[in-house]
Amino acid sequence: MKNRLEELRGKNGWSQQELADRVEVTRQTIISLEKGRYNPSLTLAFRLARLFQMTIEDLFLYSSEDDHE
Amino acid sequence: MNNRTQWIAARVRWGWILLVAGVIVAGVGFLLERAYASLPYNLRIITGLGILMAGVGISYLVRYTAALKDEQSARRLSAEERDERTVLIRTRAGNRAYWASALMIYCGLMWASFAANGGLPDLSGDTLWYFLAACVLVPFGVYIASLLIDQRNF
Repeated sequence: MKNRLEELRGKNGWSQQELADRVEVTRQTIISLEKGRYNPSLTLAFRLARLFQMTIEDLFLYSSEDDHE
Repeated sequence: MNNRTQWIAARVRWGWILLVAGVIVAGVGFLLERAYASLPYNLRIITGLGILMAGVGISYLVRYTAALKDEQSARRLSAEERDERTVLIRTRAGNRAYWASALMIYCGLMWASFAANGGLPDLSGDTLWYFLAACVLVPFGVYIASLLIDQRNF
């Protein structure tokens, strides 16, 4: 699933480690999320959305192709 | 005490429990070895189990006690251990290791069944030992391989 994490992280001037610390995951998880290799749990999606003060739909871009992942 | 500190404190508690239980089990095993040397059983297995438990307990204490005092390392350690991607990768690896283990044991069971009916030769003591060792090592190998593969996939 595509997302805007890298863009929003860059706007806030945070490193991957800083973002990871803020949502209490590892840096590796942030890397995987940004590359779209890993889809987060609902809890993590909410934590990320709240951190960037937006809705999950604005942060994660769902398309019907994602059903096959 | 926040959720993270509670989680680390619980790990430290487990460390102490394992250490104390390990020392007791190892001590009992050692005493039994001395007292019942003539028994046909090798009581060192009890001593070994105790040493293993104590070792795991010490590793828990070393890893988590420092984190109790330092908020930053507590945060990192908690994130590393409870990270959902890591948990997913470990779960998938555990699942694959379970199926590898079940398959090997099923094959062993089938061999034993056919051997009992004379359809296959009996497993000698040495062959049985190697087979049982493989039943431990192969699932472990599958677990490690799965961890490495999924680290790249996810």
